[in-house]
Amino acid sequence: MSAGSPRRGTRLGPEPLSFTFDGRSYTAQAGDSAASALLANGVRLMGRSVKYRRARGLLSAGPEEPNALFTVGTAPQVIPNVAASQLLLREGMALRSQNRWPSLGFDLASLLQAGGGFFGAGFYYKTFMWPSWRTYESLIRRLAGLGEAPGACELPPVAIEHISCDVMIAGAGPAGLAAARAATRAGARVVVCEGEPVCGGELEFEPGTIDGHNGASWIAITLTELAALGARVLTSTTVVTDNSGEFIAHAEPGGLPGGNTVYHIRPHAAVMAPGAIERPIVFCDNDRPGVMLLGAAERCLARYGARAGRDLVLFANHDRVYAAAQRLTAGGMRVRAIVDTRPADAPGTDSATRALRASLLARGVECLAEHAVIAAEGRGAVRAARIAPLAAAGSSRRIPCDTILVSGGWSPAIHVGLHDGGARHFEPTVGAFVAGAQPERRDYAGAANGRLELAAVLEDGHAAGARAASRAGAKGSPGAAPRGLGDTAPRLAPFARSPASASAEKRQFIDLQNDVTVADLRTALAEGFIDIEHVKRYTTLGIGTDQGRTSAVLGAAILAELKGETLAAVGTSRNRPPYQPMTLHSIAGFHVGASVMVARRTPLHDWHAAHGGMLEPMGLWMRPRYYRTNGANPFDAAVVEARRVRSHGGIADGSTLGKLEVAGPDAAAFLDFLYLSKASTIKVGRSKYMVNLREDGCVLDDGLVLRLANQRFLATTGSGHGTHMLSHFEYYRATGWAGRGVSVTDVTEAWAVIVVAGPRSRAALGQVLGTAWQTPFGRLAHMEFADGQFGGHELRVLRASFSGELAFELHCRPAIAVPLWEALVAAGLAPYGLEALDILRVEKGYLAGSELNGQTTPFDLGMAALVKLGNPCLGRELLDRPAFHEASRPRLVGLRAADGRAQFQGGAQLTTDAASRRPCGYITSSVFSPTLGEWLGLALLARDHAAEGRLLVARDPLRGSDTPVRVVSPVHFDPSSERMKA
Amino acid sequence: MTRLACPFCGPRELCEFEFHKTLPAAGSHGEFERTYLRVADPALSIEHWQHLAGCRAWLLVHRNPSTGAVFEVELQGGVAR
Repeated sequence: MSAGSPRRGTRLGPEPLSFTFDGRSYTAQAGDSAASALLANGVRLMGRSVKYRRARGLLSAGPEEPNALFTVGTAPQVIPNVAASQLLLREGMALRSQNRWPSLGFDLASLLQAGGGFFGAGFYYKTFMWPSWRTYESLIRRLAGLGEAPGACELPPVAIEHISCDVMIAGAGPAGLAAARAATRAGARVVVCEGEPVCGGELEFEPGTIDGHNGASWIAITLTELAALGARVLTSTTVVTDNSGEFIAHAEPGGLPGGNTVYHIRPHAAVMAPGAIERPIVFCDNDRPGVMLLGAAERCLARYGARAGRDLVLFANHDRVYAAAQRLTAGGMRVRAIVDTRPADAPGTDSATRALRASLLARGVECLAEHAVIAAEGRGAVRAARIAPLAAAGSSRRIPCDTILVSGGWSPAIHVGLHDGGARHFEPTVGAFVAGAQPERRDYAGAANGRLELAAVLEDGHAAGARAASRAGAKGSPGAAPRGLGDTAPRLAPFARSPASASAEKRQFIDLQNDVTVADLRTALAEGFIDIEHVKRYTTLGIGTDQGRTSAVLGAAILAELKGETLAAVGTSRNRPPYQPMTLHSIAGFHVGASVMVARRTPLHDWHAAHGGMLEPMGLWMRPRYYRTNGANPFDAAVVEARRVRSHGGIADGSTLGKLEVAGPDAAAFLDFLYLSKASTIKVGRSKYMVNLREDGCVLDDGLVLRLANQRFLATTGSGHGTHMLSHFEYYRATGWAGRGVSVTDVTEAWAVIVVAGPRSRAALGQVLGTAWQTPFGRLAHMEFADGQFGGHELRVLRASFSGELAFELHCRPAIAVPLWEALVAAGLAPYGLEALDILRVEKGYLAGSELNGQTTPFDLGMAALVKLGNPCLGRELLDRPAFHEASRPRLVGLRAADGRAQFQGGAQLTTDAASRRPCGYITSSVFSPTLGEWLGLALLARDHAAEGRLLVARDPLRGSDTPVRVVSPVHFDPSSERMKA
Repeated sequence: MTRLACPFCGPRELCEFEFHKTLPAAGSHGEFERTYLRVADPALSIEHWQHLAGCRAWLLVHRNPSTGAVFEVELQGGVAR
């Protein structure tokens, strides 16, 4: 078939190109899809089925393809499961078939089903149970799955575009174009999304005239008008879902992800004109390569001049088959027979169809009424169709052919509506579900409403377009509806499957992608899976990349037959977005790598980076974890840094602390409400360690609150909590405190914070700040602060400590952060990072995120004394709940190894002995203390086990260690805090 | 529901706003009921939202959670002066 003159088709150019399929080279023409090029090259075998590894060929000419899915490209750009019909060939493209080993022609696993030993529904659940599923899992996993995940795959980035418009039209077939034309004429701003690379839908090959033009010229005229009136037409763009009025459309030009676009479209009104998907009729061995949808053969011919086969048998249940036979004959194929399931000349047959049939008969085409194809014959590919009268299925005969084209009607593609609030109802004239009531913003038109004749489709589309425009506020006139002629109703009589014996039902394939047969549905019903949703899950009907788009209605119809119910009562399983598969790459868009989150940097960021600081994200902030100059790894470096702070001194970047300024006549009362202890008792110039509760009584955050002036406070929050605490403060200011005199201002980034800690900190600050140190900072008592200047900028020094050492927090303007920091370095203080900070605070039993984990109360954390102060703050009332006072509630304790040497780690569970499997607590933090020379921990431990001296076992099965530990005070070092007060 | 009309900023993308909570039922008694007993009316939900990535105003949103229709967006706490 490939030899001779170039093929001609609406999508083809004359230029030749070459591609490979499973390593073999083939030639094609510019514009060819992978499916059309392979068909034209006489290739019928395009894949194997996932379960039985049966040979499979092309079924459809659209994204609904269950069989012909290829892996495209070479590493590192490999994409599996690309539908052959959607893939635009490019020069040198490499395609691989899927689900076969070692080759497509000979697959070892297919031998598993030789002799008819099929694995029916539930086979895996029933068979691989002894001794356990895990015994078989790895072998089965190797055989399972569609294609292979590509692993690391580098694709060009995806663009995300947001579009606002008056009217969005999904689908540019006759209904969609009529809608777009009406809405645009009425003055609406219109966006049209069409999944195919060209507009027109069925008009590509269906006959008929519109307003006196043939299909192709009407499309061209309409698109010209749309463009002139400013409508935007997006081709190769499929609307995949509607999220409450935000429609997601996915563009994959050429059928491949990578460099593609995802559109978020917010129209005021939408017209969905997605058309309908042709469905097959089920017969024995209907999965052989060579059994294809009638419409697919027509599309391959019209678009690409590719012939589905040489000798055809057509099998259908509607009038459209006769016009199709005529066009296929004109395209150079020989139609051996037309097998129609309906009675001959049933009332209502129009004269055109009768004339068509007479002319086909005259040309030697056998036209059989009330007949069915009951089996496809031939191993590996179709060699003949076995047909029989419906009244007498026993008296069958054989018609030699290489292709059986089948059409069982059309299932409206109403999935997007069903994703989001749309209804559907059964329409007997099309034997399928059509769109029902939709939310106000969305309307269906055309085949999705069960309109199949051109005139009705155009009227429906026009009316929907006009309605949408008016809903969007457009005031113009939509004009008259386009008038269609010459394409009549198909007069379909629902027919889902041919008669079959019980053994043949095992080879009546409904869902080709998942090898679901009529026998599987019978098994599922016999085993009590009655609802369509259960049948789907038990048999896998309708799962996979095609999501049952050719099989869902068919499967439901056959299930209805087996159950003796109507299709309307059985229904189809629920659809889920997206309508078409999208790669995770597309969904992620530009939210990859460094673009996943914004990064907040302190004014000292560049200094850290230039001086060996290993910066790591903490919330949105980047903070130095340790300095490489102090050690090659975080453990070694942190030990050096922490030891130096205790023996000498050090500086740390505390700029990430959240800082909220709360001011106004009611500021003190407001903070009294938000904190467990009172802010109103703090004196100006002093600060206090304070704790916030959530309304349920659990600790939310802690920090120091400074009273800057009588009506002005600075509340500091945890580094990771700053943004949340701002919202928390603002929430209560806006609700319970509305109208009161209090304001909340985030000053986090207005102040850089340098922590100076250690016995030498006072001397170093004296050296750096000179006279400023003498007044006002030099005489600060613990928890006092003063405001002064450094280098002409404001500087606030607070004497407070998170390390247990004599320490000061320098709150300075960002402009002087680096000079001040460098001056401190010059004065002999080296920086320390988060790891060292962690060592220092665990030595002192100070709390951090692992203890303030949102599940702990002040009682758990040893702050009962604060509660006793009796401040009626937010969350106070629910602290009295009895469950917070049970013996099983945790208590913060310290831990040491029983032998004073062994290591234990955060996350380990604590048990009373080495045999017990019931934890009584867990380790929240653990560090190696260079000062004490052993591992120290903090833990949350049930109160009845929390007595000091108690021996427990730290169990860490994940990292494989069991360590005997001893409960001690959480304050491991300097319990009377003499160093801090020095 | 893809946008909320902020009283200060006008209609803005939903992703700029953060949901906080559904209001407790009218007539709830005590902190426990106010904290844990929320209204779950499919036709009307009254919720606190913040225009977090915008003007940071706290809002009271009246909406139908079944259809996504927004009836009213009220400012909470008035305008700071």
